[in-house]
This record gives sequence, C-alpha cells and structure tokens, in this order.
Amino acid sequence: EKNITLDRATGIELSCRLDNKYSHLKSLQVTWKKGNETIRYINKTESSWSIQLRILDNSMLGSYSCTLKGKEEIGAMFHLQVPKIEGREKPIVSYEGDTAVMMCKSFGYTPIAWTWYKTNGSEQIAINDSLLADKYVINRISANVTHLKILKLTKEDDGVYWCEAAFELGKSKGKLKLKVLSLMVPLKPFLAIVAEVVILVTIVFLYEMYSKKKEKCAEDEKEFDQIEQL
Amino acid sequence: MTQFPEPRATQQRQSGQGRQDRKEEEPEAPAAGKGPGAEAADGGWAWGVVFHFFLVNVLVMGMLKTFGIFFVAFQEEVGGSSEQVSWIGSVMSSLRFLGAPLVAVVCRRLGERPTSIIGAGLIGGGCLLSTQATSVPFLCVSMGLLLGMGFACLYQAAAVMTAKRCRTRLAFSNAIARSGMGLTFLIAPFTQLLIDFYGWQGTLLIFGGIMLNLVPSSMLLRPVSAQLQRSSAKNQDRGSLMAKKDSEMLDGCLDETTHREIQLRSAQDLPTMEGVVMPHGRDVSGPVNTSALEGLEKPPMDSCLPEIATEAKRSYKSLPPTEKENTQPLLDFSPLKDPVFCIFTWSFLFSHLAYFVPIFHLVARARTLGVSSMDASYLISVAGITETVSQLLSGWVADQNWTKKYHYHVAYLVLVGITNLLCPLATTFPLLMAYAVAFALFCGGFMALVLPVLVDLVGVQKLHSYLGFAAFFAGIAAIGGPPLAGWLYDYTQTYVCSFLFAGACALISPISFFFEPSAQKWKLKKANLNNGPRLG
Repeated sequence: EKNITLDRATGIELSCRLDNKYSHLKSLQVTWKKGNETIRYINKTESSWSIQLRILDNSMLGSYSCTLKGKEEIGAMFHLQVPKIEGREKPIVSYEGDTAVMMCKSFGYTPIAWTWYKTNGSEQIAINDSLLADKYVINRISANVTHLKILKLTKEDDGVYWCEAAFELGKSKGKLKLKVLSLMVPLKPFLAIVAEVVILVTIVFLYEMYSKKKEKCAEDEKEFDQIEQL
Repeated sequence: MTQFPEPRATQQRQSGQGRQDRKEEEPEAPAAGKGPGAEAADGGWAWGVVFHFFLVNVLVMGMLKTFGIFFVAFQEEVGGSSEQVSWIGSVMSSLRFLGAPLVAVVCRRLGERPTSIIGAGLIGGGCLLSTQATSVPFLCVSMGLLLGMGFACLYQAAAVMTAKRCRTRLAFSNAIARSGMGLTFLIAPFTQLLIDFYGWQGTLLIFGGIMLNLVPSSMLLRPVSAQLQRSSAKNQDRGSLMAKKDSEMLDGCLDETTHREIQLRSAQDLPTMEGVVMPHGRDVSGPVNTSALEGLEKPPMDSCLPEIATEAKRSYKSLPPTEKENTQPLLDFSPLKDPVFCIFTWSFLFSHLAYFVPIFHLVARARTLGVSSMDASYLISVAGITETVSQLLSGWVADQNWTKKYHYHVAYLVLVGITNLLCPLATTFPLLMAYAVAFALFCGGFMALVLPVLVDLVGVQKLHSYLGFAAFFAGIAAIGGPPLAGWLYDYTQTYVCSFLFAGACALISPISFFFEPSAQKWKLKKANLNNGPRLG
C-alpha cells in the first residue's frame, strides 16, 4: 500500500512490478482499477505494468489498484490524496477574558487558502474575521501556517474548531479543540493549598510559643538551682 | 582539693552546652539543666531541618527539571524564539548558584529562618506573577529572577542549617535530604497533567501554592545555633575573663599565680586554636577546652571560692553574645584568600562539570547507538534510583568516621573519572546500563559528601560565606557546562568526547585535595604567628 500526496494538477505514473520469486506468473494479465472501474491503457514491459494518469481535479483522486489474477490474487494499492492537515490532539486550555491562539500547519505543501470553521451543534459555521473583527483575527503567518486568534473568550467559544486548507485538487481539514475555563477553576485548588499552608504555619507557631514557655520555666528553675547551690 | 567546685563547674559547663545540638556525642552525662524532653525536642528539630531540606530539594529540583514542559507552553502562547525562552530556564538555574554570596550576607544578618521564609515568599510570588505574563522579558524577570533568587535563599539557608544542626551524622542527613532529588521524576508527569487540565497559567498558580508550603517547613529551622555560638563564645570568653579575674582579684592565691599563668596561656591558646584546627569538627576541641578550663579552675578554687563563684556567675550572664560575630564584616571576602577554599572550589567546579555533562548526553548517545527512546528513558530512571540509594549508603559510611570524609570524596571522584573514560567502550544496551549504574553509584557517593567535606574543612561558623562563594563558582561552571558540552558535540560530531571530557574533569578535581594537609599546616603556622605576639 502506498500513500501519495498531491497538491496540484500533475501527470503521474503508477507501476506495479513483479518480484523475482513470482516470475512464473509473468504471462498472466494485470488489471488496473480505480475503485471498481477498470482502466484500459496499460503499459506493459518485461515484468512491470504501469499506467499513466493526468490528475486534473478532485474526482481523479482516490484509490488505484493493480491486481494479478491467478491461483492467488496479488496486488498493490495506491492512495492518491490531498495533503493532510494536522490539528491538535489535546485541547487548548484558556481562560475567560483571555486570548486564545490556534495554529494550523501544512507540512510541505502550500495551500491556496485557509478557512476556519466553528462547530455549532452539528453544523460547521465559517468564521468571518472581517465581520467580527474585534473577536476573531485570522493571520496567515507564513505560507504554510495559519493562526486564528480569538479575543475576549467566553464560555460559548468552547468547542471544536476546524481549519481547512484549500488546494488545487481539493480541501483538507484539521481538528482543534478549545476549552475555556473560568478563573475560579484553578483558583479553588490554589486556595485550598493556601489554607493548608496557613494552618501549618499556625500549628508550628503555636508549638513554638508553647515550647518557649516550657523552656523559660525550665530556665527559671535552673537559675534557682544554681543560686541555691551557690 | 575539695569536691564542691566540680559539680558547679560541671553544671555551668553543661548549661552552656545544654542548648547544643543533641546529636553531638557528649561524653558527660546529659545536662542537668535541661530535661530529657528538651533533648528529644532538639533531636526532633534536627529531623525537622532534614525534612525541610528534603522538601526544598524535591520542589526546587522538580521545578527546575519540569521547566522544559513549560517551555513548550510558553513558546506557543507568549511567542518568542526557542532561544529566548530557554534564557528563562538558564537564568533560573544559574541564579540559584550565583545568588549564593548575596544570600549568605542576608543569612548572616537576618538568620536562616527569615531568609528561608523570604525565599519561599519570593518563589510563591514569582509563580503568581508569572501567571500574568505576556512577553518573554517579563517572564525572564518574574520567573527567572525571582524564582532563581528564591531558590538560592532556600538552598543556602537549608544547607547551612543542616550543617549546624546535624554534627555527627551530617553526611547521612545530607544524603537523606538530597534523596529528594530522586523523587522529582514524579513531578514531571504531574506537571503535564496539570497543564492539560488547567493550562500553563493555572499550573503556575497551583505551583505557587505548592511552593508556599515551604513557608511552614522553613519555620522548622529554629535558630538554636545562635545559642550554640553564644555558648562556645562564652566558653572562650569565660576562659579569658576568669583568668583575668583570677589574676586581678585573688591576692590570697599568689603562690599559685605563676603556675596559673602558664595554665592561663594554654587555656587561651585552646579557644583560638579551636577556630583553626578544623579537620575533625568542633566536637573534639569542645570537651578539650572545657576540661582545660576545669583544670584551670581547680587550683584557685580551694581558697578563693566565693569571689570566683560570683565572678563566674556574672561573666556567664553578662557576656556579649555577638562579640564573636561582630568581628566579621558583612560581605566576608576572607574565603577567597583561604587556600582551603581554593582547594574545595577547584574540586567542586570540576566535579560539577563532570556530573552534568554525561547526564545531558547519555540519552542522546543511547539513541545514536540504536537504543529505543523507551529503553533510554529506562536508563535514566535506573540511574536516578541508583544515585539516590548510593547517596544514602555513602552518607552512612562517611558518618562512621573510619577515615576523613574527603578521602571517600577523592575515591569516588577517581572512580567516576575512570567510569567516564571507559564509557566509549559501552556500545550495547546492557553495557550502557552497566555504565549508567556505575556512574550513578559513584556520583551519588561524591554528591552526598560535598557539604560534609566543606564543613570538615571549614567549620560551621564561616560556612555561610564559604558556601556562598563556592556556590557562586559552581554556578559559573553550571552556566558554562551545557553550552560547552553542546559545542563539544558540534565540533566532534560524536558524544564520545563529552564523556571523555567529563572523565578528565572528574580526574582533575580530586587533585586539589592532595594539598589539603599542607594547606592546613600553612593555616596553623599563620595562626600561630598571629597568636605569638599577643601572648608574649
């Protein structure tokens, strides 16, 4: 199986070659298929079969397979696809009132355009940064990187976002998750810890005062003894 | 000779020493002036100090090591190149050492407990302030500066307090406290979890709270040592005062004056010698001093009883306690002129270089040899555990006092050097594991002994300034170490050189200890020359 990434219209040649140990099957025919359709124009050489394709639009992408029919079926698969965009596995955590920056990167291939979507229920709504300029800012940092900056976060901004890269041959999406927390959330453990610290400080302080009093009594007794002996 | 003066003298001496750390091996019976409960309390406070030092190690080291996790989060949010962000980490870890002389001054002025509390406050405040950070320079100051200084405060105060409290079992207590560093491997996944839940700001907030826990544990650093110093100062001054009073006021004892004057001289010698002859700590000189005083007291006692009694009592009460301390200037540069300090710092510097460089490059070397990253991290964890165990063992062995502590130190360093030089031969995973175990074993050995050796060489009185300056120089090594190692790799394109370099450093560092006996003799001669004119 092979994955081939194409971002623009090109001509491509796919070839299947027979390994030496199967040379006894040379005389048999190889079929090339796209999906279920058989392709007619096959070039055949000594031990390899190839097809030449001109990929011009999205419909020509897909899975191509070469199959050798005999006692067993031997074959190979080629997957022609647009470049994949990676989102982020872990959610981005941010706080209410703060700014969140979400980044999408395309590896190696430059998209024509980037679009951001927010998932509302089951729909995806495109984010229009010119419409809501004080809320969303979309920046194309470099050819392959896009940033979505969300200002003045609120609880409603929590959810799933998609960044979509448009290539000549199609579109590809990456998924990102945003989590918006209120300030109280980390504050609670913090206050709990501070309370514990205060309690400990008080305990140590009280114990010290208590032991100082004990020492003072012991010292007074000691001095009394010394004076007595003298 | 009547029996009467002896019990009183014993009681006075013991009430003076009564406040001393119970861990000292006292040949006499326990103090009559203090009940057994107070003794146990003193021993308990010593364990409290060890616990605090342990906590400091865990939290400080944990914070330093997990900075790498924050690194990624900072870069994404606050922006800035990775070089800029790594500055924060280096400022933080280098200030921990470089701030030590300043902290030593503060410690001497305010005492260890306030300094430690200030340190904890700085760290807590720094963490809280960093949650509001919006740019890298801001973070540099708030996280780097504040946290670094806080760490330095905490570390210095805790180390010196441990040295002051745990005299006889210093090496073992130090090792227990340092074993806290072994627990830091738990903090990394914990930090990652917090960041996933709360984001880096929430994590810093919670860390600030956790660091605030160091405030109550700092309160365990009870300033008992002030009374210890006072009592030893009292011993010295009492000797001289009593001698003076004897010679002035006791006309009836003239027949013994000459005999007493000779004894006087020898008694005065001992307190000053105490400050100089350090190898076996102050324990040895203590009883010697007091027994000499006892010998001095005996002759005049039989006929001059009442006056001596009142004079002695007055001297006991009215001694200026800080007389000894005020003679030291605030920023004490005297360690820099001391050959013993040079010996120690030389060794400290090179041994630190030898310690850090292999740690950085072990995993990388394992990867280049084809070991998977899971196995490589397994190497690191085994090394960590071995180091902790060997620290404890080495501390316990050193405390048995079979030989001088720095002999062990030298032996461990030499073994580390040899191990490092043999490292290039380790090309498979089992051999690398053997190297890691051996390295950790010997490193743990010498790491545990750094503080005890310094205390042996220098004594507890001046420990602050010595430790401060030694840490300063070690900080310079710590800053230079990683870039140097990186440069070595870039230059030679192999990690083998870093290990050879570390081995060479480890072998160079104990050389200075061979000069230790002659340095001590030199110091003694100098001290005798100083004392000569005074007595003559």
